Amino acid sequence: MHSQQWRRLLRPSYKMAAACCAVLALALAACSSSGGSTPSATGSSSASSKVVGGTATWALPPNSAPNYIFPFASSTYFSTVNFAEFQYLMYRPLYWFGNGASPTLNSSLSLADPPVYNGKQVTITLKGWKWSNGETVNADDLEFWIHMMQAVAPGDWGDYVPGLFPSNISNVKVTGPLTLTMTMDKAYNPTWFTDNELSQLTPMPMAWDKTAAGASNCTNVVADCAKVYAYLDGQSKSLSTWASSPIWSVVDGPWKLTSFNADGNSTFVPNPSYSGPVKPTLAKFEELPFTTESAEYNVLQAGAAGAGQKIDVGYIPTTDVPAKPANATVGPNPVNGYTLAPLIEWAINYFPINYQSTTGNAPVNKQLYFRQALQYLMNQKAIINGPLRGYGAYTVGPVGTYPATSYLSAQGKLGDPFPYNVAKAKQLLASNGWNVVPNGITTCAKPGTGPGECGAGIAQGHQLVYNLPYATGTNWIEQEMVQLQSNASLVGIKLNLEPKPFNQVTAIGGPNCVVAKTSCDWDFANWGGGWSFVPDYYPTGETLFLSGSGANSGGYTNAENDSLINQTLTSASPSALSNWQNYLATQVPVIWQPNGAYQMVEVSNSLGGVLPQSTTANINPEDWYFTK
Amino acid sequence: MIGFLIRRLLQAVVVLLLVTMITFILLRAIPGNVAVAVLGPASYRNPAVLAAFNREYGFDKPWFDQYLLWLGHLLQGNLGFSWTLDQSVSSLLGSHLPKTVWLVGVSVVLALVIAVPIGVWQAVRRNGPVDYVFTSLSFLFYAAPTFFVGTVLILVFSVKLHIFGPEGPQGGMVNDITDWKDLTLPVVTLALVTIALFSRYTRSSVMDNLAEDYVRTARAKGASGRRVLWRHVLRNSLIPIATLLGLSLPGIMAGALITESVFNYPGMGYLFFQAAQKQDYPTELGFIIVVAIATVLGSLLADIAYAVLDPRVRYTRL
Repeated sequence: MHSQQWRRLLRPSYKMAAACCAVLALALAACSSSGGSTPSATGSSSASSKVVGGTATWALPPNSAPNYIFPFASSTYFSTVNFAEFQYLMYRPLYWFGNGASPTLNSSLSLADPPVYNGKQVTITLKGWKWSNGETVNADDLEFWIHMMQAVAPGDWGDYVPGLFPSNISNVKVTGPLTLTMTMDKAYNPTWFTDNELSQLTPMPMAWDKTAAGASNCTNVVADCAKVYAYLDGQSKSLSTWASSPIWSVVDGPWKLTSFNADGNSTFVPNPSYSGPVKPTLAKFEELPFTTESAEYNVLQAGAAGAGQKIDVGYIPTTDVPAKPANATVGPNPVNGYTLAPLIEWAINYFPINYQSTTGNAPVNKQLYFRQALQYLMNQKAIINGPLRGYGAYTVGPVGTYPATSYLSAQGKLGDPFPYNVAKAKQLLASNGWNVVPNGITTCAKPGTGPGECGAGIAQGHQLVYNLPYATGTNWIEQEMVQLQSNASLVGIKLNLEPKPFNQVTAIGGPNCVVAKTSCDWDFANWGGGWSFVPDYYPTGETLFLSGSGANSGGYTNAENDSLINQTLTSASPSALSNWQNYLATQVPVIWQPNGAYQMVEVSNSLGGVLPQSTTANINPEDWYFTK
Repeated sequence: MIGFLIRRLLQAVVVLLLVTMITFILLRAIPGNVAVAVLGPASYRNPAVLAAFNREYGFDKPWFDQYLLWLGHLLQGNLGFSWTLDQSVSSLLGSHLPKTVWLVGVSVVLALVIAVPIGVWQAVRRNGPVDYVFTSLSFLFYAAPTFFVGTVLILVFSVKLHIFGPEGPQGGMVNDITDWKDLTLPVVTLALVTIALFSRYTRSSVMDNLAEDYVRTARAKGASGRRVLWRHVLRNSLIPIATLLGLSLPGIMAGALITESVFNYPGMGYLFFQAAQKQDYPTELGFIIVVAIATVLGSLLADIAYAVLDPRVRYTRL
């Protein structure tokens, strides 16, 4: 689940500004030659030559700054900005995910060779890369992290899921300087275990195995780990000391932090000891914080025009992006000298349906025909081509459609299984006992559980009236909701839209209300962000759709679905994932909605190596270089 | 005067207590879940963590107990800890408040230096072309939202003309003071609205005073028009301006919130903007305490200025 959309709150409208400029004599000059629109380039000219050195600046997402450096973060600090955009520059995870745009295992950037599975055993062999203090990244460093996980995970590891790692491993053994073997509680699907479990691990240097009192031994004794964690957590909360800390200066990634302030201004220089295949070419890499997208866009525009700070990799508010022509990869770019590169995350987008609702609608929510009817009213094509300006991906089921992966089934590749169709929605309701009243309120005319009847628990005269809280601040979500309301009215479903702040909507619809013991007095809740498959890159459904899962927001429960999910966790056959997603896509456990671009990235044409971007949101400035 | 000051200070303490209590209640009344806002939506995977957070920070207690706990800490100089920025609120205020004070201070001084002469000029040349032009501009800038003025200034003076930077100074206080190129637009944005307000009040006040008997008397005694205007009328006209200045401080601080967001200037407004979006209650309360103190102090200073400017005013218990 990502939470970037709300940051677009309070974005001043440049169009409004431009309109008013026409009235204001002061601003006439501003409007007369505003923003030359140029076709987007495909990157730096191939004829230009690579320059060694230089400082590249990168704009942080609006209103976010790193606030935790220790790569063992609790939920409080478990965020894209802390991990993918900050810590990973210095402390590399055991396995790196992202091959260009593909969210798959990248062996060359990983600290270890691909894991070897043998029944319930998995063996990890590290490559022997170096820490910046000269020590080798070895099996002890990995065991150090696993022991810490075993000691403090439930409360202090943000990606902890009850019953999964480390609860599903029974034995960890260092079998050589670079080799570690783990015994799992059962034989798992290797892809799942690598992509969703081992993907979380990050080796930690021996220099960190200490407390305020001196050296400790968490590497070998789990009982020592809580104090080590407390010490490192405390050090990580001392933001002003990060750049000078002897602890955080020991890195195995390509970058070292040389300055940082709490507003988020960070400066990195290359780590000369980095053992990876691509050494940094830049002399410095700087991250710059911004309050809002529009504040960043002001600086980007001014920098592009030669005034003020130049941003080499920034972004443009979606509302300021011209619509993408049909069949084009990227449309016109309003910023001269930059390449527009929309970043769509490896994710699905949806909003939950509450099957445990106490509003009186739960019996209706449980009816497949109703959910399918509502899905037919979600016009994904119109949303993508309209409010999203063409920069979005369809959500066709529980597996993302962008980027193209082998995970998406053949059925999924066919596209939206429920293309906008009012007639079908109407037919589904009418054929199941409802008196459909277009632009009125549809009511149950034939109660009962037989064919052609409304279904169990639905009384005669029950009205299809729903409240739909949704998160404000994301322009396209707001437009989507209005459109859905209008579409639903065509078959007599009355949706009362309730715009609310992001945090309120996630508080309503984020939890499984029975598991988390929160109010179940809701039917739908759209926070706009769906779910990002990071750092659980393999798109199985154990956290989102398995019965009783804490993140199964609506409390969806289906024995067939549970069985198919469990098969994806244990079977290495690709058909297991296909069978599950094909089944669940048509069951419509949630309402699928488009996956809008996470960010409309702008890359300076003088900077090479940035594209293609990783859909996992990881950044690799070691690949970047200036050209002349 | 000393008795008056003591009474006002005691009143200020009561006012501040009421402000903190009302603010605390309002913040707690906001729908939503603080634990989820802080720990992230995915924290629902692990409800025990949410419960532990609520327990640790007292969110499982009644609001009044929470308030007393917070007030107790406040009296010990502990404003709390920002979960989202991972720092004590005191250190956050320490690093961000001086920036806002500098921004607001420079803009207020600039506004006064410009607004008072303009107001006087308008009063003297009232209903003439100059008066109409400045009146129109005053209405325009007073009505225009701060974010709009800031955005237009950026488009004109930064993006198009390349004269000033599109964001406020980034870095320490020394940079804030020396980097006039980046400081100009945020200062001007805040000042334009303030100039509009102060010039209107000055115009009105000077016009009122020009019709007073003492002006006629001074002229009858042979004082020059210039002397009457600048020595007699202006002094009396500044009395309501002093009051206005004191009472405007919270409004200007609020304007700084928007200005700092538009210009990416890391002051108190920037801090509050971040805190408000992340339900960072300790930081929000810290900000409100500062603004409340500024309001009370502003009011107090206005009263004192009143006494200084008008010796006839005596603050005695009736």
